[in-house]
Amino acid sequence: MSRVAGLTVALAVAGLAGCGGIKPVPPGQHAMATADVRNAALATYIKPGDLDTYYLFYSGGHSGQVYVAGVPSMRHIATIPVFAPYPGTGYGYDEESRRMLGGFTWGDVHHPALSKTDGDYDGRWLFVNDNANNRIARIDLRDFKTRQILGPIPNTMGNHGSSMVTNNTEYVLVATRFSVPWASEYAPLEEYATKFHGAVTGIRIDPKDGTMSVGWQIMTPPFDWDLGATGKGASDGWAFWTSYNSERATGKLEQTASRKDRDYIAVVNWKAAEQAMRAGKTAPVVGVPMIDPAKVPGVMYLLPCGKSPHGVDVDPSGDYVICSGKLQPTSTVFSFARIRDAIARREFSGNEDGIPVIRYESALMLEVPVGLGPLHTQFDGKGYAYTSLYVESAIAKWKLPPYAPGVDPKSLVVDKIPVQFNVGHLVVAGGDTRHPQGTYLVAMNKMSRGRHLNVGPSIPESSQLIDITGEKMTMIYEAYTDPEPHFAQLVRREVLKPIEFYPKEESRDPNAVWQPKDAKVTRNAATHTVEGKVYAIRSFYEPSRIQVQEGDTVILHITNAEQERDEIHGFGITAFDRNVVVDPGETKTVKLVARKSGVYPYYCTNFCSALHQEMQGYLEVVPAGRMMALYTGNQGEMHAAPPRDLAVQEETQ
Amino acid sequence: MTRLVRGRRRLLLVTAAIMTAAAIFLPLWGMTLVSTQYPDGLRMVVYPDHIRGDITEINMLNHYIGMTPISDGLFLELRLLPIGFAIVAAACVAAAFVRRLWAVVLPLALMAALAGYGLWSMTSRLYQFGHDLDPRAAIHIAPFTPPMLGMNQIAQFASYAYFSWGTFLPLVAGALVTLVLMSDVRGAGPRTGSKT
Repeated sequence: MSRVAGLTVALAVAGLAGCGGIKPVPPGQHAMATADVRNAALATYIKPGDLDTYYLFYSGGHSGQVYVAGVPSMRHIATIPVFAPYPGTGYGYDEESRRMLGGFTWGDVHHPALSKTDGDYDGRWLFVNDNANNRIARIDLRDFKTRQILGPIPNTMGNHGSSMVTNNTEYVLVATRFSVPWASEYAPLEEYATKFHGAVTGIRIDPKDGTMSVGWQIMTPPFDWDLGATGKGASDGWAFWTSYNSERATGKLEQTASRKDRDYIAVVNWKAAEQAMRAGKTAPVVGVPMIDPAKVPGVMYLLPCGKSPHGVDVDPSGDYVICSGKLQPTSTVFSFARIRDAIARREFSGNEDGIPVIRYESALMLEVPVGLGPLHTQFDGKGYAYTSLYVESAIAKWKLPPYAPGVDPKSLVVDKIPVQFNVGHLVVAGGDTRHPQGTYLVAMNKMSRGRHLNVGPSIPESSQLIDITGEKMTMIYEAYTDPEPHFAQLVRREVLKPIEFYPKEESRDPNAVWQPKDAKVTRNAATHTVEGKVYAIRSFYEPSRIQVQEGDTVILHITNAEQERDEIHGFGITAFDRNVVVDPGETKTVKLVARKSGVYPYYCTNFCSALHQEMQGYLEVVPAGRMMALYTGNQGEMHAAPPRDLAVQEETQ
Repeated sequence: MTRLVRGRRRLLLVTAAIMTAAAIFLPLWGMTLVSTQYPDGLRMVVYPDHIRGDITEINMLNHYIGMTPISDGLFLELRLLPIGFAIVAAACVAAAFVRRLWAVVLPLALMAALAGYGLWSMTSRLYQFGHDLDPRAAIHIAPFTPPMLGMNQIAQFASYAYFSWGTFLPLVAGALVTLVLMSDVRGAGPRTGSKT
């Protein structure tokens, strides 16, 4: 989201203020009474050693990471590196994660989405998108590790409209933010309206192991696709995305793409898309089965929506689709039944590149005046919707249908709470599932200035915890995070079943070593490659001495042979920019080139025991041309004796 | 030594045999080590023929003080005890059939011998493990004897030692055999004999 400070002024001039009659709270001022403050403190206090009720997974924006906090304490408890290296867990330094990162050093994480079964979180995987480099990642919640990065997804430029998980995790649906000419072709911007294309994509998920692959794509007009939602209940099998720039404009979009009163929601029947793919009604574009919705009717429709919408959301029943135009002070409620009827009766108001545009009035249920700059909506499962108001810096609670005939739309907004300050996404516990919990809401705010100690120009983002169990929302906590949270998932802790260490029996790495005697280093003189299997345990490495020749490529497989929780070992090596962190039972591979002769210590980087400092060894890089007696055979045997004998050897050396 | 073991007392002998045989598959003795770092505790459970529990982790910790790593192969007892139990059980069954007093005294004597051997071996093993510490170990501590029963604090660990079913059952079996023996010595004659 852009930080459009001027927007407030513009909308105030337009006379759109005054919704809900809520008095604005001056910046930095707490509007809570002493008793409320005390209650809030008690409601969020988790005493040392006690556990939170919920996991909060929030995206880290351009930091490329996912953060994990506990709710209600809001304590940050873990960082899951996804699209950027993270020395804290050695991510991006071992061969596997380096390969996954694919040469990129950052990504722009926006929308985490938990895997679902029957429309509820099942605790298996978390998918996150990369808005920058057109990728999507899967985090395995068994070990909270990034296990796959898919992409760059072809025909996609800026994977913003994702990750949206279907009811049973059949697909993760994504949409390109930017439209471009495909297949790396060139067309000047003057030909934007005709030569540029957008696409929405179905990423197929292997139900057994979660492996992602590109299933199919649907070509779209060159709009900018924003955010999406998947259907549930009656709307299961459908997906929705918002767009901006239905003007097909280029240049200063702030003006050129804000001319029309309405943009579009894409209404996609993804099950029909899947069928079209199976029936071969596709033409490959950059290797992806591409569906042209003008030629395959029934796959995609467009539905007008309030100007420049950001969020589109489907309520827990799946009966209502809510779209918020950020340049209009309303959230629009569409009835999915009416959308289907309109399609069946062909109540179309036109088409865009052959894609039928559903008549707005046919699908519309009500426009609810929620407030200024509505963005995203979540649900509490008790018949209410919560919409973030970016411009107004507030959250509106409003009533979902059914509505009485002739109801005053203003009366549907039942509560509003100011946040500090500009709220983007918001998340309710289970708020995008079929069964939201209606307990907590977290507002993810931009521009938190004045709320915390000054840490210089780069200020923290604020996340505010709101109790939504009562009729009125209550602000109960405020926390700050690294840049830059967008969306989040809030899930009950018992849904997840993470492991405590990798069981030895499950180790599949052929280079794993579980006994000091199996550790060994071998050198292939022909390829100038040294390969070592390194055994790591409290408080030593086996071998503790590795000799290589200057110029050798050194590949080390480090096994942490511990089978106890939290006995993590690192392997950092001086002067080579390599640090891997190996969890108990895990084997990681690190590769480096010994360019310069010398002796380089390696050591355990993750504090492991009382003798942690002693856990070290030496990589000897012997100058080229110098004889190396140790090259022959198994170097590991030299040190393969049990630790106590090893100690004797060192004493006598 | 010619009195007969009669009636339900034969059943007692068979029961004693079953109990002793069952003990082969049950834990004899265990120890739980608890410290702040191991809130769930580390367990070592000794069965007649093997040792179970968090042995790797216990060895890992013990190596700092130079204690001999615990493994099944280290103990001759783990091969002898199942045989011992089996012999005692067989002797009980035999007594039920032979029905002579001497045949009842035999399993009791075997039991006493086995118990004595077990107790002696445990005491010496515990002493040995706590005293035979490698002088080259990273951490030097005063030699000690881990507890056989009850609680003891060693470094940051509270050790809780306890006996278990594999010990209790043969003890009860011993009591049953003793009962048979006593009643035969005291009350032999038609009073009990009439019940057959």
